[in-house]
Amino acid sequence: MDSEDDDFHSGGTGMESDEGDADYGFVENDSDDSDDIIYHRHQNYTILGEHDIIRLQMEDINRVSQVLSMSRDDACILLRHYKWSVNRVHDEWFADEESVRKAVGLLEKPIEMPRSREMTCGICFEVYPCNRMRSAACGHHFCNSCWEGYIGTSINDGPGCLMLRCPDPDCSVAIGQGMINVVATEEDKKKYARYLLRSYIEDNRKTKWCPAPGCEFAVDFVLGSGSYDIICKCSHSFCWNCTEEAHRPVDCRTVARWILKNSTESENMNWILANSKPCPKCKRPIEKNQGCMHITCTPPCKFEFCWLCLGPWSDHGEKTGGFYACNRYEAAKQEGMYDETERRREMAKNSLERYTHYYERWATNQASRQKALSDLQDMQAVQLEKLSDKQNQPESQLKFIIEAWLQIVECRRVLKWTYAYGYYLPESEYAKREFFEYLQGEAESGLERLHQCAEKELQGFIEAEGPTKEFNDFRTKLAGLTSVTRNYFENLVRALETGLNDVGPSSHLAACSRTSGSGGSISRAKSGKSKVVRSSAFRPGGPSRSSSDDGTHWSCGRCTFVHVNPSNICQMCGHQRQTCAHPSDNQ
Amino acid sequence: MTSTSSPSTKALSKIACNRLQKELAEWQVNPPFGFKHKISDNLQRWIIEVAGAPGTLYVSETYQLQVDFPEHYPMEAPQVIFLQPAPLHPHIYSNGHICLDILYDSWSPAMTVSSVCISILSMLSSSTVKQRPPDNDRYVRNCQNGRSPKETRWWFHDDKV
Ligand SMILES: [Zn+2]
Ligand SMILES: [Zn+2]
Ligand SMILES: [Zn+2]
Ligand SMILES: [Zn+2]
Ligand SMILES: [Zn+2]
Ligand SMILES: [Zn+2]
Ligand SMILES: [Zn+2]
Repeated sequence: MDSEDDDFHSGGTGMESDEGDADYGFVENDSDDSDDIIYHRHQNYTILGEHDIIRLQMEDINRVSQVLSMSRDDACILLRHYKWSVNRVHDEWFADEESVRKAVGLLEKPIEMPRSREMTCGICFEVYPCNRMRSAACGHHFCNSCWEGYIGTSINDGPGCLMLRCPDPDCSVAIGQGMINVVATEEDKKKYARYLLRSYIEDNRKTKWCPAPGCEFAVDFVLGSGSYDIICKCSHSFCWNCTEEAHRPVDCRTVARWILKNSTESENMNWILANSKPCPKCKRPIEKNQGCMHITCTPPCKFEFCWLCLGPWSDHGEKTGGFYACNRYEAAKQEGMYDETERRREMAKNSLERYTHYYERWATNQASRQKALSDLQDMQAVQLEKLSDKQNQPESQLKFIIEAWLQIVECRRVLKWTYAYGYYLPESEYAKREFFEYLQGEAESGLERLHQCAEKELQGFIEAEGPTKEFNDFRTKLAGLTSVTRNYFENLVRALETGLNDVGPSSHLAACSRTSGSGGSISRAKSGKSKVVRSSAFRPGGPSRSSSDDGTHWSCGRCTFVHVNPSNICQMCGHQRQTCAHPSDNQ
Repeated sequence: MTSTSSPSTKALSKIACNRLQKELAEWQVNPPFGFKHKISDNLQRWIIEVAGAPGTLYVSETYQLQVDFPEHYPMEAPQVIFLQPAPLHPHIYSNGHICLDILYDSWSPAMTVSSVCISILSMLSSSTVKQRPPDNDRYVRNCQNGRSPKETRWWFHDDKV
């Protein structure tokens, strides 16, 4: 990796040099474009199926064949030798054709050997009429069955068959697919074609196979084009650069460090990975079986608590720092009243404690993501049809549910990686840490809201007796939450990727941006350290927000949801409508 | 009688038989200089006597090569080793294994026993020191349970010596 990683801790804008002018497109997006799924970025890659790969390979071969006026067979040999880079083939060829020919094994003209009526095969030493012998351009003749044996042996030895040369020990003329297709068995031809196809993806610098097990798609990536995130048609999302699963907003080096850290700490982690925890009230073991962190103990206890901190769910409101949020390490430390945190206290001063905090949240989000993925599949396979029957809605009208689940899956992924991000964010960067934890907390509560709605509220409509008139309100709410959450997470990713550089010394914005009891202001007051400033560029909705605040509709200052009714409370998150106008927004 | 048993032998294919009969016939008419094939009725294993060439470190020494042919000879390379005692040579291990590319990766079915013999003799003749390869002991230890040199991943030294 290059120097951009080294900027990570100093908060440098790692991606900026590459991506400074990349168009993320989401700043202008309004919250109702539910047709676009997950990201609105310009796509800088193409997913290729087998037919696409064959077509592209064919096009490259044709191009070289035309430009250098040679057979397609020879063009293919040349391209393979130069890792399928058409430009490189042209450059090398025009620089020094002769040495290219020599290195690759291509003759300028076929050599005509004197042909008698009968010839002796150089492998089996049998004599054949010359019409049963054949040779490559070098004129070394062998009988058909020896060719078949020679080629078959090489193909069964592996991909080295793509570099096959004439069997004559003193000859290095290349044997291409043309000869293979004339003399090899059907099975060997197929294997050879397979190797050729694989080579096109594996040897080419700008293509890779999707790393998901069993997936046969490949990615064609525009080198140097910025974001490494790939979403394959098989739905696996991964990083182009390191082929680990997609990990924005953290960089590849941090991912590698984190994965290594996890494997070395894994023994210490075993106790955490246990799938059950005792109910904090009745002490019976509870297995977490839903994706969201809100757990309800089985009757008769019915205690509602948070899976992460085992605190009562009722505490997870505004006063503990954001709706449904449970993200703060500092807060967790102070909640010494719970057994779990008590135990961790005993591990105090030990760095494991800190790691544990991040790891557990990382792993929990990972598990929630897996759960959300399987819920999504279940939704597509079974539930949607049920719902469609119950609510009398064509399935095409229920797309918003799939979109909500796709968004949940994506958010869980991002949230998960923010914990690796947080782990490596130096303790000394107070302002950044505060800002980070604030953003993470908001993200978490936003996602929990969406998850709740898509999981629990939806269930009610699936189990309903018949069509309910509330279903349309539910549609509006879920679609709204999806869009709001998407906006928020996209901004979050961007803020983290640019190293939280929107944080600076105190100013007017800090003083007035969040006065109504959100987590950010609480922790700020508590720490009493430098104040946090967010430029309006980060805040969801951004500068365009105030222009929509024209009296006929307004958008929520916390979650950006746009309201047309004149109420003063956000429908989505319960946030108070704000009347303080920011000078910078107010042109 | 040798430390290396023959490779798990499958009988020669018909193609291999035909080809070996032709090679043998040709050898009897026109043997490579300095080599003697020890007559036996085993077509699949040849024992060949090599005489060190005049003017080289191995003059007036004789060694024995054992050549075993696989089922799909000549598409697959024969296994060629020196019987004890193997000549002292920087590319020949004390167990008789020979580090020579044409016996492994660079084998071509258009090569013959005769052409292999000539290559081995030229390798012997060009040697300037009589010594074992530097990794001899380790390599020989690793081959103790009768591993064939064809299973070794050879890393060929230079082809001058
Ligand atoms: Zn033949
Ligand atoms: Zn040739
Ligand atoms: Zn895939
Ligand atoms: Zn990566
Ligand atoms: Zn309970
Ligand atoms: Zn909690
Ligand atoms: Zn809101």
